[in-house]
Amino acid sequence: MLSRIAESLFWMGRYMERAEDTARLLDVHFHTQLEQSQQTYLLRWDSIVNISGEQDRFFECYTEATPHSVVEFLAFRDDNPNSIVNCVTRVRENARTIRERISRELWEDINSFYHRVRAFSPRAEIATGPHRFCTEVKFSCHQFRGVADDTLSHDEGWHFLRAGRALERAEKTARIVDVEYHTLLEGKTERRPDSHQWMAVLKSVAAYEVYRREFHSSIDPQRVAELLVLHPRHPRSIRFNIGELHTSLQAISRASPGTYATEAERLAGRLHETLRYDRIQDVYERGLHDFLRSLQQTCRGIGEHIARTYFYYAVA
Amino acid sequence: MEPHATTAGERSTLLADYDAGGFYDEMFAPGGDPRPHCEPFYDELARMTPAHFEECRRLADLAFLLQGITFTVYSDGLGSERLFPFDLVPRILLRSEWDRIERGLSQRVIALNHFLQDIYGAQRILKDRTIPRSLVQSCRHYRREMTGVAVPRGIYTHVAGIDLVRDSASGEFLVLEDNVRTPSGVSYVLENRLVMTRMFPRAFQRQEVLPIHHYPAELFQVLRGISPRTADPVIVTLTPGVHNSAYFEHTFLAQQMGVELVESRDLVVDGDVVYMKTIRGLTKVDVVYRRVDDEFIDPVAFRPDSLLGVPGLLAAYRAGNVALANAIGTGVADDKAIYAYVPEIIRYYLGEEPVLRNVETYICARPPDLSYVLEHTESLVVKEVGESGGYGMLMGPWASKTAIEEFRTRLKADPRNYIAQPVIQLSRAPSYDVATKRMVGRHVDLRPYCLFDGDRVTIIPGGLTRVALKADSLVVNSSQGGGSKDTWVLRGH
Repeated sequence: MLSRIAESLFWMGRYMERAEDTARLLDVHFHTQLEQSQQTYLLRWDSIVNISGEQDRFFECYTEATPHSVVEFLAFRDDNPNSIVNCVTRVRENARTIRERISRELWEDINSFYHRVRAFSPRAEIATGPHRFCTEVKFSCHQFRGVADDTLSHDEGWHFLRAGRALERAEKTARIVDVEYHTLLEGKTERRPDSHQWMAVLKSVAAYEVYRREFHSSIDPQRVAELLVLHPRHPRSIRFNIGELHTSLQAISRASPGTYATEAERLAGRLHETLRYDRIQDVYERGLHDFLRSLQQTCRGIGEHIARTYFYYAVA
Repeated sequence: MEPHATTAGERSTLLADYDAGGFYDEMFAPGGDPRPHCEPFYDELARMTPAHFEECRRLADLAFLLQGITFTVYSDGLGSERLFPFDLVPRILLRSEWDRIERGLSQRVIALNHFLQDIYGAQRILKDRTIPRSLVQSCRHYRREMTGVAVPRGIYTHVAGIDLVRDSASGEFLVLEDNVRTPSGVSYVLENRLVMTRMFPRAFQRQEVLPIHHYPAELFQVLRGISPRTADPVIVTLTPGVHNSAYFEHTFLAQQMGVELVESRDLVVDGDVVYMKTIRGLTKVDVVYRRVDDEFIDPVAFRPDSLLGVPGLLAAYRAGNVALANAIGTGVADDKAIYAYVPEIIRYYLGEEPVLRNVETYICARPPDLSYVLEHTESLVVKEVGESGGYGMLMGPWASKTAIEEFRTRLKADPRNYIAQPVIQLSRAPSYDVATKRMVGRHVDLRPYCLFDGDRVTIIPGGLTRVALKADSLVVNSSQGGGSKDTWVLRGH
């Protein structure tokens, strides 16, 4: 497989996931926060911008984080490279450059998703709330994965796509947990946040029902963290995604079980072992923030090593 | 979808008031009756209400949009993507007409290949003064670097797209221009047919249209035939990239042939061997079906500013380690001044009379021709010899006084760069007019695609019928607002 094609698949996985994660955050927060006090409400929009990692760019464009400015910036703005519309456009651009290598079904699915997203009027969505738009994006992302899994051969190309998605999702979940704990627990609000806000966090990663079913308890921040960081089977938990990433990297490198052939694989494997055997108490003892910070660094390192090994190795 | 029957009378409202306008019409005979071989489709059309036809058209457009079958236009400065307008009324050819076209094109392609072998080899035709040496060596696309290079199996023109027009005056097919560099459009031929079989299944059941879907397989065979390695050759299609106007076609052909689509950044040359960069290291490449022009293909040999090329590719090619299709330097054979000599070229190499005639052509490099062209610019079509795609062209009868004067100045400054031809009244075919929702006559040409494997020429029956969708326009190029039609060659007529 050509390096360029592998790279395009990897980034398609990442951008599609980024579009979905942003849509989920926007949708949940827009609607939950309508019931909050004005001050909390505005603070929460700050944290959404922080989760996106685009604070600097955001405050170049706006003076404050309001529902309007955040929705416009994260969903539609052309000059935000990670806006939902730009993510979908980049998925399509990547798909277009490798369309002879993906299935006709997958290409048509991405292409029509792109045309649907472009047909939305930013002004109308910002005025009425982005629910229709976000729902469209979420379900189109689900559909993308379904079409990909059902029509692509599960070869190394498919593993690059999956690795991109898993890495992006692990990083994004880490960022959500990190930012939310910081905002909700470290005294920025004048009173202890009520469970509604933790519910919103869970909902934004589609984990609310699972939480209820597994813990049968009222919302406890530590358990929320446990679910999002260490849950073995929930498809949005960090552990689950690092596991997927590791499996795909092994499939790509064809290393025999228990060994590794690339640095990316070694880092993913080691991180996965930590997540498998650590308990949430262990994580808290080391400090949740430090733990998540180092985890995000490892994720960045894995991304760099994948690029160095497969996409940009030196040639004579 | 199947059109619903209507209780239409003699002519449905779609075709009411259809006026052939004194041109040769591809569907209607001079008296106004459908030509016998067009009757089955005419019946189909006559049964359709405008609303049903409109619905078919909408579905066809949607199918093209969703599949992303688009091309890129540069004139708006944005390089934006557009649908290549598709007209649902097919252009239907008689088998007897087609057989003659096929013979004429095979003859032409074989003669042009001989010409290229000769030009880059012994140069007999120049030594004999059948063609002026200065004319050949001043071609913009003449590549001195190819002199004495033994190209694999002696093939230069693996793929040729030769533009034909039917002259309304005589009903005869004439050759308008040869394209033997990187002709494009064949993917539309195949996609158009696919859409037509979905929209008009009954028409295909009622008469046998010769199939065309073997094109990618035939192309693959030609490419395999020129590989320096015989066992399991690695064949790639080289594209300039996603911003090229024909990008869709590059992806389409690569996919249909099952070969890798590569960009220049995927290839490296080391020790005169071409490799592609894969996730498992470098893989040797044997055949490059290149859709990048000569000038851009190797920044070491040609334009140093090219980002689309592969440094060292020409050296690897000359060393015989990689085969290219088409060969480098073929552009000399589709130079529009050389075009005027093609009938001579056919006689010279094959000792035969041309089956298909040329359009009469004035070569401005010849002083008497130049003075004629300067005097009659208003009534002629003037073309730049090295251009294609409808760029660099003046349509005298429709041009403004300033445009004509400007062209005269350019003609005088660089006569070698121009030829002129009389305006040919191209035949017309019924085409759907979106604004009035009726059929109107529009001018068409025909570009068949010819594959040459060194022994014989294979041509898929029909080709791309391009249609000038603007009223009275004779320019059919997609870059100039043209569209396309499916072309049917019927078995047994």
